[in-house]
Amino acid sequence: MSLLDEFKERESNRNSEQEYWRSVEQLVDTPEYEEMLIREFPEGADSPPANFSRRRFLALMGASISLAGFSGCRWPKEEIRAFAHRPEGLVPGVPRYYATSFDINGHINGIVATSYDGRPIKIEGNEVHPAGMGSTDAWAQASVLQLYDPDRSRKIAHRTGNQTVHPGWAQFQKSLQGDLAALWEGGGAGLVVLTEKSSSPSLRDLRDRLLASYPKARWTEYEPVSWDAMREGAKIAFGAPYRVHSDFTKASVVVALDDDLFGYHPTSLKNARDIMQGRGGSGENMNRLYAVEPVHSITGSMADHRLPLRASEIEAFTHALASELAKKGVPIASAIKGKLKTDGTHVPAEFIATMAEDLANHRGRSVVTAGYRQSASVHALVNAINTALGNLDQTVLLTRDPEGERPSHAQAIADLTADMNAGRVKVLAMLGGNPVYDAPADLDFGAALAKVPTSIHLSLYDDETSQKCTWHLPQAHYLESWNDARSWDGTVSTVQPLIDTLYEGKTNLEVVAMMLGEQPFSGFEIVRRTFRSMAGPVIDFEKGWRRALHEGIVENTALPTARTALNAAAVAGALHGGSHDEGYEVLFTHDARVFDGRFANSGWLQEMPDPMTKVTWDNTANMSPASAEELGVKTGDIVSVTVEGKSLSIPVYVMPGHASRSVSIALGYGRTAAGHVGDGVGANAYALRTTKTGYIAHGGQIKGTGAKAKLATTQDHYLIDDIGMSGYDKRYSAIVREGQFADYKKNGKNAFHQDHHPPLVSLWKEPDFEGTAWGMSVDLSKCTGCGTCVIACVAENNIPVVGKDEVRRGREMQWLRIDRYFHGDKENPTAIHQPLHCQQCENAPCEQVCPVGATQHNQEGLNDMVYNRCIGTRYCSNNCPYKVRRFNYFNNQDPVTPIEKMVYNPNVTVRSRGVMEKCTWCVQRINRVKIDAKNHKRPIRDGEIIPACAQACPTRAIEFGDLTDDKSAVAKKHKSKRAYHLLAELNVQPRNVFLARLKNPHPALTESTNGHHHG
Amino acid sequence: MGTITVDRDDPIKGKPLVEAHHDFGSVTDAVCSVVEKPPITKAWWISFFIAGSGLMLLLAMIAYLFWTGIGVWGVNNPVGWGFAIVNFVFWVGIGHAGTLISAILFLFRQQWRTSINRFAEAMTIFAVICALVFPGIHVGRVWFAWWMFPLPYQQMAWPQFRSPLLWDVFAVGTYFTVSLLFWYMGLIPDLATIRDRATSGIRRFAYGLFSLGWRGSNRQWHVYERAYLLLAALATPLVLSVHSVVSFDFAVANLPGWHTTIFPPYFVAGAIFSGFAMVVFLAVPARELYGLKSIITMRHLESMNKIILATGSMVGYAYAIEFFVAWYSGNIYEQFAFQNRAFGPYWWAYWTMASCNVFIPQVYWFKKMRRSIPVMMVVAFFVNVGMWFERFVITVTSLHRDFLPGSWGFYMPTWVDICTLIGSFGLFFTLFLLFIRFLPMVAIAEIKGVLPQAHAGHGHEGGEH
Repeated sequence: MSLLDEFKERESNRNSEQEYWRSVEQLVDTPEYEEMLIREFPEGADSPPANFSRRRFLALMGASISLAGFSGCRWPKEEIRAFAHRPEGLVPGVPRYYATSFDINGHINGIVATSYDGRPIKIEGNEVHPAGMGSTDAWAQASVLQLYDPDRSRKIAHRTGNQTVHPGWAQFQKSLQGDLAALWEGGGAGLVVLTEKSSSPSLRDLRDRLLASYPKARWTEYEPVSWDAMREGAKIAFGAPYRVHSDFTKASVVVALDDDLFGYHPTSLKNARDIMQGRGGSGENMNRLYAVEPVHSITGSMADHRLPLRASEIEAFTHALASELAKKGVPIASAIKGKLKTDGTHVPAEFIATMAEDLANHRGRSVVTAGYRQSASVHALVNAINTALGNLDQTVLLTRDPEGERPSHAQAIADLTADMNAGRVKVLAMLGGNPVYDAPADLDFGAALAKVPTSIHLSLYDDETSQKCTWHLPQAHYLESWNDARSWDGTVSTVQPLIDTLYEGKTNLEVVAMMLGEQPFSGFEIVRRTFRSMAGPVIDFEKGWRRALHEGIVENTALPTARTALNAAAVAGALHGGSHDEGYEVLFTHDARVFDGRFANSGWLQEMPDPMTKVTWDNTANMSPASAEELGVKTGDIVSVTVEGKSLSIPVYVMPGHASRSVSIALGYGRTAAGHVGDGVGANAYALRTTKTGYIAHGGQIKGTGAKAKLATTQDHYLIDDIGMSGYDKRYSAIVREGQFADYKKNGKNAFHQDHHPPLVSLWKEPDFEGTAWGMSVDLSKCTGCGTCVIACVAENNIPVVGKDEVRRGREMQWLRIDRYFHGDKENPTAIHQPLHCQQCENAPCEQVCPVGATQHNQEGLNDMVYNRCIGTRYCSNNCPYKVRRFNYFNNQDPVTPIEKMVYNPNVTVRSRGVMEKCTWCVQRINRVKIDAKNHKRPIRDGEIIPACAQACPTRAIEFGDLTDDKSAVAKKHKSKRAYHLLAELNVQPRNVFLARLKNPHPALTESTNGHHHG
Repeated sequence: MGTITVDRDDPIKGKPLVEAHHDFGSVTDAVCSVVEKPPITKAWWISFFIAGSGLMLLLAMIAYLFWTGIGVWGVNNPVGWGFAIVNFVFWVGIGHAGTLISAILFLFRQQWRTSINRFAEAMTIFAVICALVFPGIHVGRVWFAWWMFPLPYQQMAWPQFRSPLLWDVFAVGTYFTVSLLFWYMGLIPDLATIRDRATSGIRRFAYGLFSLGWRGSNRQWHVYERAYLLLAALATPLVLSVHSVVSFDFAVANLPGWHTTIFPPYFVAGAIFSGFAMVVFLAVPARELYGLKSIITMRHLESMNKIILATGSMVGYAYAIEFFVAWYSGNIYEQFAFQNRAFGPYWWAYWTMASCNVFIPQVYWFKKMRRSIPVMMVVAFFVNVGMWFERFVITVTSLHRDFLPGSWGFYMPTWVDICTLIGSFGLFFTLFLLFIRFLPMVAIAEIKGVLPQAHAGHGHEGGEH
């Protein structure tokens, strides 16, 4: 009988004198309540402990006194405590910064997390880290939102049959040790640990310990999207697993074969920085980037020459390139030369001849790369080409792969599933990952999992895999974890927590330690143990440890460059010329937003427009205009894509510049247990992907279903009619200016479109400025359109997520948008990215029309937005020629749980419904530096104030500073011959300039393959 | 009881302003009986029920809007203004005919106005009330809409006087105030007439209260006529200014398609155009149903139709000139804005507008058409549809594709937008039905002034007949 029922019963027959009662318990007269009335203190608090001898008491007292003096030695404290008492030196509201590392797919970037009063709220790049050199990708930027995701798993779930219980860690540990004890006799046979790709030395150390204890146990690794092909290719070419690094700073010619160097690559941030460094037009020479690719990637959009080519023909192209190089006298090994197949490629001969000539002319100063989608054979041949070009040890460097010998990820998961199906796996511990969702469909990992008696899944979310396991364990987020990692070049990086675990999460290290049953259990101790063993016998370990935590890296731990010779015979043996299938190929790609599905529950990333399609909240089947015409479909039509009998319904996106007879679909969508945000978004491409297909499926059947989807795109909503196109064509060259490097060297600013307008006169008195005048510049030569700045801005400025429906209505809230323009031949257009935030006009048209004066000019030239005063007429937005203002159509900031609120930047107002908002050039950052400078009575240094977008930018395309200071970087940019004001003829006098994009096309190819250029 | 015979074909004598055998007494009877003994209660009640439901719909939509946010409408990022502003400009436009007829035609001694001016003025007041609803509700934070007014309060923050929206507040506010005063002043002698004819105490009290002790003395008439003339003189520039200022909302912005010097005269012409169409649309059924054909004669209707033809052609000229200027300016953004209007995704709105406003009124070149009741009802209806679309075309098509193709978008109204528009008609017709039920819809005193008897005798008579 429940308490309530009891109450009701008593209520009905209680005596009438008892009029008042204090609580339900009093009414029900429970014995506990009776006792509580008598007791002064809670039970146990007022009586001496039982079984506590005098001797024990004295021993404890003695120990307390003698150890009291040691309390000062315990630094750093391992535990992270709430601020009941303010720690010394901490000023509330003043941010603290901690170096840590962000890991995606085993690729590390060093970051600095900003913490306000114990809450990490913003990720920035760590300048001393070799991977990002101060910049980040969008995934790292969005990771703070994941930390505070209310959908994250909070408890252990133990599932047996239809029952789910939520025991504690102690019970789990007991159960686990029971299971492991049963395997002890057999040396651990039947124990398998499946992890995500990890570079952590501590995890490796624990693996070795585990395998030492359980010699017959298996440790395996799986990633649905991985760079194994590079590894396998190097293994063929150089005889052992090597990592191939490219030094683009020294490369004059770069050829990317289906390789999204800036989008997803182990060193994408460094690639972008290094390649773009040489493209400002300041030097004597400029590098040249060729991209041959099936999809239209951001790398392709930056290329000087881009050739759309089906992924299955890239191999044939590589053969043709090698043979063309051989003709130009490049010493391709004769064993290889004999095996090259030069028929069957659809490449214009002129293109390949020019590319080969360009490479041959830049021996030792060029790089050829291939992407993760391509086979080991292509990678091997690319290695051979680089060797023949003399690039090896010059622009192409090798290091031994610290992962050593291991099967490829595709092989590993297939082997594991076979074992599971055969009943050979008794205990399967999965540390991260989500194989039920992302393992090849033909393996049916979920069904195999049912045959494993004890399956354990450590995961941030109670996801698809967790729900099929007997145990789900909540994982600690990396911002809650002690861990370590090695970046792609080998540099040891630290992972330290910024906050105590919000839920009951544990790290992968702690779970393995729990399996081992050995001390220490805590991540902190494990990492310190690893560092201690890596450091060897040093005098002052603590000092080095503290330094490593402070810097985020351990210096000089990069892997040594290896020198080795090409095994031409092995390469020749691996060549097979690729597929000549003429049907539709279906490509499975990583996604610029959710990656492989792991970020599906991040609203920031779901709402980030794809860099090329500008689609949000969906994945699409991208295809070329010609293919779409052939199939009779248009953007938004739902097609059914069938591969090997498996079908998927997905909307089409007609992507100009996509290779024809090729359809690319991003992985990571159509999740069913991602959380409230990610469930049911898009279509699950993993359903089509089998062990055999890998990244490229041949013989795809694509049919229109007649249904239509409403895609939520942030650009080109209705840019399909002729009149729109004609208007677009006329203004294109004025809006995004582009010129050729050679022309620019000769003619300076006349290489670009120039504005012609009558003298501009202002209707109003123009504002005066005192002291500093803030300015910005955006270099279109450097902007790859990756979208990191958009997410950095969202994170910094508390920008809300509005959802798919609202984006479809055109109500996305991102203050910074990246306009992507295509131009020229629609089968192979030029694509250009233009980040657009508030231009901070001096004659701001928005200010003039606000009836209540809610947007005002300040003395430093910023166009301030006074949220308190705004009544929401939206007139300012109508009058903004750049349309960079954003209106809160609804109450977009409505956190359901207190946890969600923790992600807010305390220095930025959270805007209410009915209020206009816009980019402020991170005025809170400007003010923080101004206050600091004033306190120290010093001028503000150039480069000291960095808005969030500029900070995150991998290529440093955005500069900010004081225009009155002639020496400031931004003032120099404003004086550049490439600088132009967007829509200057309106006389709004923007404080931001764009720098026209320079391209460096090969003279021989200027007319034939690159569409139209503007001189 | 004088009888006038008029040779309808004699152009020198002109047509009679009031037909049939009206004398002072019969005019009073004809108009007052509508208020005192409504002849068609059933039709009125049905109409009132429909209009009242519309009003309730409007109130419900506003409540929903206030509760949820502007997002219930279709407006979005490039198109910050949608139906609310379209409806606002539309209703302000409708509200032009009344004061034009009352004030300007009064100053020009166009005596044919007397039969329709009351009616038209009432329509003006109600249309402006409908219009005023929208700027109030379209702001994001309605609870602060009062910040638009220059009120000295503790924040010490003034409105921003460079904003055309603020000019709008003053222009429409002034126009409404003056129109209301003008209308009310004209009503005073007639209210006194009804007061004097009243049989029940309540009526006598109510009409007595609002007739402000009017006795019809010579002195009162003298003061009244002076004041009326002064108010007419004051209202005249307002007719031209209010829609000019409304047009500044668009013309002052730098948006291609809005930033046009032709807007003030073009808007005023369009407003008069739509206002007259609305007067015709309302007057025709009213005169049929309430037996006022002899007072609101075919001559009045024809005159209004001529004005519709004239202003419709002006509007058509403005449409053409916009295209010419866009081409002549050499400004690619301006050129695109107009091409896109006519041939872009909103071509249907543009051609609805052009057909209704320019092509259809051309039938009025024919006298037979000008005098045909069915034709004028159809034309008046289409003119109002067309003028609503004109505002839609100006507001939405300019915004949806402005300078940067990267920010182009599309606007479609939601059900809330559509219901709010329907509801605004509910408000208008509710007020209008109440007006014809309780107030004299023809200016009795003024009509008498244009009767032949008035000129045979000695000037004006009082209202006590």
